Amino acid sequence: MNSKPEVTISPFLDPGPRTKAHSLAILQLSRDNLLPVYLQPPTGEHDGYAEGAVVNTRYGSFPHSTMLNVPWGSQIRASKVDTGSRGRKRKRDGADDTSREATAAASEKESEGPGAVAVATPTKENGGAPSVKQAVADSSGFIHILPPTPELWTTSLPHRTQVVYTPDYSYILHRIRARPGSTLIEAGAGSGSFSHAAVRAVYNGYPSAGQRKGKVFSFEYHEERYHKMKQEISDHGLDGLIHLTHRDVYNGGFLVDGRSPQADAIFLDLPAPWEALPHLSRRRPPPSLWPSGAPPPGLDDPTKEWISPLHPRKTVHLCTFSPCIEQVTRTVSAMRRLGWVDIDMVEIANRRLHASRDRVGLNLVNFDRGVNNSAKDVEEAVTRLAEIEARFREHAAKARSRAAGAAAAAAGDVDMDSDDENAGEAAANGNAPRPTAEEEEEIKITTNRLPPWMEGRLITRGEPEIKTHTSYLVFAVLPMEWTEEDEAKAAAKYPVGQEQKVIGTIDKAIRKQERREQLQKQQPGSKKARRKERDEKLGEVLG
Amino acid sequence: MYSIIRPNAWVALKLPSGNTKVLQVTPNTTISLGKYGSFPTNLILGRPYHVTFELQDKRPDENFSRLRIVPADELYAEVFAEEAAADCVTPAASSGGGGNGGDTVISAAGGDEFSLVDDKGNVVARSDREVLDESARQTLTQDEIEELKREGSNAGKDVIAKLLLSHTALDQKTSFSLAKYKLLKTKKYIRRFQVLPLDVATFAQWQLDERDASKILDMRAEMMGLVGCWANVHFGGEDVFLPDPNASPDQGPQACQPVDEKLLRGRWLVVDDTCGLLVAAMAERMGVLHEQEDSGAEEENKGPSQQLPVVTKAEIQAETPAPAPVPSQKDGDTEMTDAPGEPAPQPSDAEPKPKKPRPSDFMIPYSQTNTITVLHSSSQPNLSFLSYWGFDIASPNHPPHPLLNHLLTLSWLQLVKPELDSSYSTPPPTASPETLASWKPSRRGNFHRKRRRFARTRYIVDSTRAGGFSGLVCASTMDPISIMRHTLPLLAGGAPVAIYSPTIEPLATLADCFSVPRRTAWVGGGAPEIEGLSNEELERWQGNERFPLNPTLLQGVSIQTSRARRWQVLPGRTHPLMTERGGAEGYVFTAWRAKPAEGKVAAKGKFKRRKVETVGRVEEATPGVETPASG
Repeated sequence: MNSKPEVTISPFLDPGPRTKAHSLAILQLSRDNLLPVYLQPPTGEHDGYAEGAVVNTRYGSFPHSTMLNVPWGSQIRASKVDTGSRGRKRKRDGADDTSREATAAASEKESEGPGAVAVATPTKENGGAPSVKQAVADSSGFIHILPPTPELWTTSLPHRTQVVYTPDYSYILHRIRARPGSTLIEAGAGSGSFSHAAVRAVYNGYPSAGQRKGKVFSFEYHEERYHKMKQEISDHGLDGLIHLTHRDVYNGGFLVDGRSPQADAIFLDLPAPWEALPHLSRRRPPPSLWPSGAPPPGLDDPTKEWISPLHPRKTVHLCTFSPCIEQVTRTVSAMRRLGWVDIDMVEIANRRLHASRDRVGLNLVNFDRGVNNSAKDVEEAVTRLAEIEARFREHAAKARSRAAGAAAAAAGDVDMDSDDENAGEAAANGNAPRPTAEEEEEIKITTNRLPPWMEGRLITRGEPEIKTHTSYLVFAVLPMEWTEEDEAKAAAKYPVGQEQKVIGTIDKAIRKQERREQLQKQQPGSKKARRKERDEKLGEVLG
Repeated sequence: MYSIIRPNAWVALKLPSGNTKVLQVTPNTTISLGKYGSFPTNLILGRPYHVTFELQDKRPDENFSRLRIVPADELYAEVFAEEAAADCVTPAASSGGGGNGGDTVISAAGGDEFSLVDDKGNVVARSDREVLDESARQTLTQDEIEELKREGSNAGKDVIAKLLLSHTALDQKTSFSLAKYKLLKTKKYIRRFQVLPLDVATFAQWQLDERDASKILDMRAEMMGLVGCWANVHFGGEDVFLPDPNASPDQGPQACQPVDEKLLRGRWLVVDDTCGLLVAAMAERMGVLHEQEDSGAEEENKGPSQQLPVVTKAEIQAETPAPAPVPSQKDGDTEMTDAPGEPAPQPSDAEPKPKKPRPSDFMIPYSQTNTITVLHSSSQPNLSFLSYWGFDIASPNHPPHPLLNHLLTLSWLQLVKPELDSSYSTPPPTASPETLASWKPSRRGNFHRKRRRFARTRYIVDSTRAGGFSGLVCASTMDPISIMRHTLPLLAGGAPVAIYSPTIEPLATLADCFSVPRRTAWVGGGAPEIEGLSNEELERWQGNERFPLNPTLLQGVSIQTSRARRWQVLPGRTHPLMTERGGAEGYVFTAWRAKPAEGKVAAKGKFKRRKVETVGRVEEATPGVETPASG
């Protein structure tokens, strides 16, 4: 790859302390609402905005100038931006701006073809003196600006295919031993979420000329996705760390420019991994092991040397990612025939949990949403019922005294009964009791004792919708090839026949024997033993 | 990690029973696998990892078992036979395709018929599924089995075959139960094993399954992956070392190299109560746990080596980078650089080595980048598991190891109240060079040791307190709120936080400190005690009962858990495993460090003329927005 003398490190790998122009930043609107933006220096009016490039969200407008050269993680206030009189009709309303911003906000010209990508292209129209309107803070809201990480990118990236999410890729990279310095093959780059996580895992510096460093070799057969991904790699400063190839790996294999990437970790996110697997052999696989019964064109010449994309002197770890069990069965079968061992299939179930306060009680103020104004326990229910009962009795007594006071007719009894019932019902429904002055006082006391955000029991509950199945992960290992020659060499280097002791599982008798020998060996030589002996002798003499 | 088993390396032996045995392969010893037999260690040295070895029968003239590498075809012979049987109808034809390993294999023909096939493809025993007799019995007595084992022929395969054939009710077993029976007997008698490199994943699995899981807080592989990713732990940049201040022995603390915050990059803060497993996992992700692997692999390639087993200090030293860059001045250095290139039999030890200029006492050996800073609650950190990767924190004269320059440890006392820590606050001894020369070597050594310790402690404490960390990783038995109180101010803006806990309660309590209502109250003046405090003071807010932490310092607070469900994949018998590990589930708390804006921040929402009533709803539905309107 062309190694530049001065390499700017990707913001994914070292974002530095502050936000920079022409670099990717992730705007966090709310917990799960993330927006990737390539920050641009203010260079005069942009897209009709006097402040330069502006991000519009439902929390207000945020000119890029307010987000530049601030510490990462900063809270950014919205600015008063004139969005109405921009001299042209707004194409979309505010709600759509979020999705638009990721891709098109940076394009200076109106001509936004489908290929227009958000590249940091500074406008040089105004020469060296940009006349940019100073942003004025607005009270409509705020956002936080975060440095890009593969996790943030995975949740915010523009989807092109199904994305490999963090719970899956974190486990995969752990299992396939992707470490600084590893060489990783990824087929089916897709939306690039795995690529970003993989490059972080294998990164151990940018390679200078002729140097071999941790690297990701990525393959994508879909042309449009390939171009988008290519653009992203260079926008994110990952040139030289990810090598992207546009190819159908089922037929084309995994060599890059005819040479072996020498991979030691592989991730296949393909619909038919068994079609790609024969390419990942150390030796030319026999024709029967190709899914079609014969090697694909270009590889069918048995006289040509077989170049393996795998590292010849290392164990290779592999993972395939397939949603259906039928794919797994075929993949595993192919793996067995191609000599992969330690085949293991798992699926990952991830759950996110939300901690909140379960606020139940009759006397809770409605501080936040979600107060359940019913009795919190039996005691509270009994107290409340007793209160109602007392009030009811009071009411009945009043009515009775009223009735007695009237003493008009004997038939009035019937009416009175129905009156009582009405009162009782009203009380039972909880409509009747209004908080009395006393109760208000009580509420005040409780709030003084415990602020509303500390009331109630702390609970955790899952998200409303959980991903129950992403894909099946099949792991396998291909050991290094070991020839007779290698064996002879190793046998010469480490000859047998001089075994002195047993390690590993030792039975009791042997262990005891060893202990005895050790003690015997120690006693004459060891300082401690000698000192002990001497002390004992001294003791004898003195005693 | 190497791909070749090297002498004195820690390895994991995987046995047919599924158990793992972790040991250090010392050359010229015998490894005993218990009931599976024993073999000389030298037979696996220099051989690759992950291949399957088989203990062969002892030759008549030798008193030990030799090993054979089992080809993958042979490992899967039975599965191939089953697959073939599913395709073809006649069992005899099918076994010819699969069982080319010369083994006795079992194949299920047509799904409901079962046969024991010998190596020539003849059916030895056959079963159908008609009868399932519970009282099926083995006719071989235990003594006979023992006798067979002692003969130990054909790596235990003979025992298994005989066991199967002596089973009276074999013909009454269904294919499923027969396969299970065979598997059971294979696990018990087959004399095969695999050697795995002891990396963090293998070690953790072994610790979890067969050792004391509570020591590593029940941290499963899924959790380790999540913590590492969410904390964004990765290689933090090429090593940068501070220049040697060249302090003479009569100079005091003022000669110490000051901490330069601009140089500090890619540093992670760790609180580890897993005996060092978490630190090891992070070090592996940062590339400072294992010695350089490429050089190792190539070294093995370079022709026949002259020297015999007893290796390796010289080799190891040759491969690891020197602990500190030493300014090369003398031409003697050229000799030094030559020496590691060709490991000549025994020269350099005998000759007096050309002396390197010794760095001064105040030289800081730690890299400014790509470091792990461990906070510990006792006077010494408990990182005992690092010894499996050849690192011992307590060893004063440590052989070269990448962790030496990248692992910094300090106690909570040194972080929170450094003035109370004597090793930080006691000034270093000073002496004029003349006095120093007059001292005995032991006293002189002590003097230098004290000064070195002072400089290092001072550097670690000062650089940690300077903050700017790239992330916080935590797996601790301590209350996470108290940990956060002292570590949050040390994190750079936007730095991720990942806290592992075996149980959810501590994490839920922590998340509750950042709940929307609490944040709203904080911003809206619910805390009169913070009126008039500057941002700097608010960052170091010591908390009270109502606000244990400054709730605006973290964004995107989230708790999650993951579980890997393992499956068995066999032709016609694919299903999830029946049992998995229970116990502590394990949870991860994640968030990012935020830098709140100075002064009051309003969030009224963006009003749209058309739908006024939706504005209120939008605001409520977004946990990130704080509404001061309520205050």
